[in-house]
Amino acid sequence: MAVFPSDEWFAAYVDRINGSADYREAAATWEGDLAFVFQAEPDRNVPDDIWGWLDLWHGECRAGRLVDPLEGEQARYVILAPYSRWKQVLAGDLDPIKGMMQGKLKLRGDLPTILRYVRAANELVQLTMSVPTEFIDELPHGWQAGRGEGGA
Amino acid sequence: MRAVVYEGIGSVSVRDVPDAKVEEPADAVVRVTTSAICGSDLHFFHGKAPLDPGETIGHEAVGIVESVGAAVERFRPGDRVVVAFDIACGTCWFCRSGQTQLCEDFRNLGAGIFGGGLGGAQAELVRVPLADTNLLAVPPGVEDERALFVGDVLTTGYYGAAISRIRGGDVVAVVGAGPVGFFCVQGALLHGAGEVLALEMDPERLALAERAGAVPIDVSARNAQTAVAERTEGRGADVVLEAVGHPAALESALDVVRRGGSVTVVGMYTSETVEIPVGIWWARALTVRFAGICPVHAWWERAMGEVVAGRIDPLPIVSHRLSLEDAPLGYELFDARRATKVLLVP
Repeated sequence: MAVFPSDEWFAAYVDRINGSADYREAAATWEGDLAFVFQAEPDRNVPDDIWGWLDLWHGECRAGRLVDPLEGEQARYVILAPYSRWKQVLAGDLDPIKGMMQGKLKLRGDLPTILRYVRAANELVQLTMSVPTEFIDELPHGWQAGRGEGGA
Repeated sequence: MRAVVYEGIGSVSVRDVPDAKVEEPADAVVRVTTSAICGSDLHFFHGKAPLDPGETIGHEAVGIVESVGAAVERFRPGDRVVVAFDIACGTCWFCRSGQTQLCEDFRNLGAGIFGGGLGGAQAELVRVPLADTNLLAVPPGVEDERALFVGDVLTTGYYGAAISRIRGGDVVAVVGAGPVGFFCVQGALLHGAGEVLALEMDPERLALAERAGAVPIDVSARNAQTAVAERTEGRGADVVLEAVGHPAALESALDVVRRGGSVTVVGMYTSETVEIPVGIWWARALTVRFAGICPVHAWWERAMGEVVAGRIDPLPIVSHRLSLEDAPLGYELFDARRATKVLLVP
């Protein structure tokens, strides 16, 4: 069980992506890395923004981990939303493409390109659900993303 | 006369300057009984808007007419008046249309070359051009401190709410609970809001907004979008008033408004630039309106009426009452957000 969001969670997610024939086919021509900003919700054990990153290329995920904001800002696409919105996405309760069009998630990058890859995006969302996940806001207070208990 | 003078970025002093006097037949000179430091004064204080060292500052004032020019018809020496912070001609197409902030000859008190070179109101005397247009009589029984803000910040908040097409029962979010936000809260409630959510991180300002009738939301502890969504069945606010004047506040306003909702930008901007996702705003069918500077002349009689009736209470916003001589301290406190509103008494 990996805590979302954490490096462990991203490692498990990368494995799932690379094991998906459906994703490989849907994203066969996709080129570009993607950063995710899980925006702070102090009342949900997320005191600061957390940045995650996936290096996606031609149906393959070449790397994925938590990154610092300076690194994340370099990604070709950045998607931002409050942490709990992402939790809705992972639960299948919020379609990320619709969420972008509704202002629930914000995209920095070329929206039409993202829209052309709806199937790949949907597959990425489906794959998150296959990762055994514990959510950071459901853990005892003091657990910090990427650093574990007490920030040690 | 004594007046507050801009000395350079982050510095004001109180100095002797030549007395304000009637220069044109339509002028009045007002002996200031109380003035205030406004958030927009801080734009000059920080050098974001041009003011030369030695120029006087300030534009919120109430006082007594000291002298008038021969062409002034509505006011006489001894009248109690509040001063319009923006000086309009009152006769051009925009003024006649109620958009006095777009006046062909728009000027601003205490704003240096940007405002037409008029003196500031943080002084013992202030010259008010076109007095018949730019002064409002203070009704008997209304104390100076209640009347003062009708010339600027109170009416700005009232106007911001009035132009936002609030429908009965709407959930209105006010981003920023400083002085403008405080009056936006009251204005929104008067214009039919069912619930007003005040988004702010300063505990004192949140308490003031709550006292004015808003639901306080501490955005240092809660994500604004999530908090507003929780109170609106996930939709977002029907109407948002951005009462800060900063790109981050604008972004927050757009984060919390529902699809098909409206955002009114009341806070003041100068040279900021923001990137706009036009396609997303279009898809969300948003109405985004820039209030601009408040056309105070078109709204101040209504605003004063609300004050007289007790439906708008300006006094809770006043945190400090200082002598004019202590203006540098007032600027320091206000700039550090250790004061919500500073009054200066000559």
